Amino acid sequence: MTELILQAVYSGLLQGGSYALIALGLALVFGAMKVINLAHGELVLLSAYIAYTVESKLGWNPMAAIPISVVIVCIASSAVYFVVGRIKTNREINSLTLTYGIGVILTNVILMTWKADVRTTNSTWMQEAIVVGPFYSMRSEVLFFGVSVALIVGLWWWLSRSWYGRAVRAVSSNRDAAKLMGINPGRTELVSFIVAGILAAFAGVALFSYGVITPAYGGVLTVKAFIITVLAGMGSIPGVLIGAILLGVAESLTVTLASSALQELAGMGLFLLVLFVMPNGLFGASRRRG
Amino acid sequence: MLQLENVTVRFGGLTAVNNVSLSIGSGDVIGLVGANGAGKTTLFNAISGLVRPTSGKILFNGHDVLRAPMYQRARMGIGRTFQIPQPMHELTVRQNLLVAQRFGTGSVDARRIDDILEFTSLAHKAEHDAATGLALTELKALEVAKALATNPKLLLLDEVLAGLETHGKRRFMHMLKDLHQQFGVGIVIIEHDIDTISNLCQRVAVLNFGGLIAEGTPAEVFSNPAVMESYTGAAHA
Amino acid sequence: MKFKPTLVASLLAVYVAVPLLFGADNYVMSLVIASLVIGGIALSWALLGNLGGMVSFGHAAFFGVGAYTSAVLSMQYHVPVFAALVLGGAGAVIAALLMLPVLRLRGPYFALAILAYAHIFRIVASEWSSVTGGAAGIGNIPRLPTVLGIDFSSKTGNYLVILTIVLVFALAYALIRRSPHGLALRAMHDSDDATRVVGVNNTLLKGMMLLVSAFMCGVVGAFNAHYINFLEPDYAFSALWVTIPIVAAIFGGYRTITGPLVGAVVVYLVDQLIVKNLLPSGHQMVLGIVLVAMIVASPDGLLALVRKITRKKHAAT
Repeated sequence: MTELILQAVYSGLLQGGSYALIALGLALVFGAMKVINLAHGELVLLSAYIAYTVESKLGWNPMAAIPISVVIVCIASSAVYFVVGRIKTNREINSLTLTYGIGVILTNVILMTWKADVRTTNSTWMQEAIVVGPFYSMRSEVLFFGVSVALIVGLWWWLSRSWYGRAVRAVSSNRDAAKLMGINPGRTELVSFIVAGILAAFAGVALFSYGVITPAYGGVLTVKAFIITVLAGMGSIPGVLIGAILLGVAESLTVTLASSALQELAGMGLFLLVLFVMPNGLFGASRRRG
Repeated sequence: MLQLENVTVRFGGLTAVNNVSLSIGSGDVIGLVGANGAGKTTLFNAISGLVRPTSGKILFNGHDVLRAPMYQRARMGIGRTFQIPQPMHELTVRQNLLVAQRFGTGSVDARRIDDILEFTSLAHKAEHDAATGLALTELKALEVAKALATNPKLLLLDEVLAGLETHGKRRFMHMLKDLHQQFGVGIVIIEHDIDTISNLCQRVAVLNFGGLIAEGTPAEVFSNPAVMESYTGAAHA
Repeated sequence: MKFKPTLVASLLAVYVAVPLLFGADNYVMSLVIASLVIGGIALSWALLGNLGGMVSFGHAAFFGVGAYTSAVLSMQYHVPVFAALVLGGAGAVIAALLMLPVLRLRGPYFALAILAYAHIFRIVASEWSSVTGGAAGIGNIPRLPTVLGIDFSSKTGNYLVILTIVLVFALAYALIRRSPHGLALRAMHDSDDATRVVGVNNTLLKGMMLLVSAFMCGVVGAFNAHYINFLEPDYAFSALWVTIPIVAAIFGGYRTITGPLVGAVVVYLVDQLIVKNLLPSGHQMVLGIVLVAMIVASPDGLLALVRKITRKKHAAT
């Protein structure tokens, strides 16, 4: 029994890496532009389907899809940025319905292009079992966990060292002050969308490599990413990683101990728990309230 | 009526209000003065519920006010105006008062709303959009009117005269004097003008850097060298 | 209430003229009924947005809970259908009560939290097979009964019922909007403190709007269950019950009361009659495009856009 649980925890941990990528993309855009991109999950899904096409039509390993995905998803992400930029009033609320609409468009484009069937990778290389100690996993899970961690570290470095990275942080914390320092918020926002696109592209290929995809899954991904940002609280990259791992583990345990149908319930349950018990997330700064 | 006991409000490292104790009776008109940033508005915020004191007690007619959320304090009888007027958007002047009255007192009395409009010289603007159709004097009058509509026992006026030219000021001062006499409310008023304060108030409390440095009649307070120093010191800053 | 002649004429038209003209055509009546269902959801969504100041992506939760509550009560507990409709609304209110803790969240967080709830309810409906029939759903849900000689299970009967439901809700919306509560709600979006400082309990009022919106949506969902006579989780909690009403409300103008209703009829009819034939599998994409276009061009709806254009024309001449 303990072995089962530990195995579930291990699997959930690996899964959490990719979840973190998705959540970070969402959080980055929100930080820079105060906009929640409800189409973010669909961008990830788009990347997953590109990986599918690369594998099924070209016969290549899904990893080869990454550069193609990055380009396409970043273009799509930038398109979202430009459309959102066209909103004239009430940006916080209107961007919600707008990106929701974009999500609907993307979901249906995916549906029309790739049809409704469930897809997953056929690559035996990806599916090959890797044993670490007493734990089993697919190569794809371990591989992409490593990739995710590398990307997260890279992201952290970029945010703290590079010019654009620091600009994104500046705009997130104080837009007007950032403007006074010569930072162009518009360009910074675009950069954040592009970086989010890169993260989404990797996450999508990962998803295809070790999971199953259907056109409807986009919305589910957005909700998961959102739950993780709530778990993590505001402005904390390690928090997002830990939140993502928590979600992955919770889902994995639910599938192992209960049933796979309840998998989504795990995330929702976690979400509500945090809302009621720790409304500022596990790592968020507490908000002042009169 | 209102008891402030050792009220301290700290924001992170900044102490905005420092150990202030003050007692306000139901018949009082008290002036609250001090340089900019001395903590006067913060004190009002603490009393009305916008901000939670870090320590200390605030008692209103014996009740511990700190347990009550902002809207409840209004219903208990604490009314306040904002330094920068905050009219209710999308509503007319009359509707502003209607909302204030309905939720501040629990019922609607159209006649009393008309009285308040008369009293604050807003009757001719009653159907105008509150956020866009009023001049500055009228916006400030609306602040007072809204507070009055809630039937307050204590009225906290935050710089209702600032930014007004002489004629408006004079009219307002008349209104404030009548306020105390006609509606029987206790008043605490933040103002910078020494003459205004001396004219209106029986007692004056002086804040400096969050602490209460003097309290007494206007004559006593304004001849106090420490008080004058805090004023002129700030004026030259 | 003033009885304007146009109002009376419109009421006559919808209550009498429509059944007379189209009553025999099942297809047309089906379309009209479905668009009214959408309109009802759109109305409840707009009420929550306008008065409650909350954008929700999870109204499917109320729709589905209302539908299941009514269906189960009428089938397993033999509650008369019309009463079950109201209780369906009550079920949705209970669902909304469970959502109250998320009220304190700001805009986007609230919207998504409600969506998360919708997912939860769908899963519960799928798994709680003993009550809800599980993923297979519930069939043979009782139709609306015959009352006072009128067979409400017919197309015309169903039409009259949903029409009345929607009009009653529109009236309720109008009354709330005009009341001091409605005034306070409208004011508190821009000036949260200005209302609190005069004694308005902002949180309570907003919470009540959530309950009202949930009730309305729940009743509509319940009606739909007894009209379609079949329910399954993916249908009852489908994202369609979220997307189409939102597009309808924004298209028609979500700040007004008639906007969402008119928008629903137009959007739904155009979608079903024209777009579906052009793009059978992806016709919802057009909905997305319309939504995006409306938000960018005229977030206050088509009528507002038309007014803006005609005003510009007048200014130019």
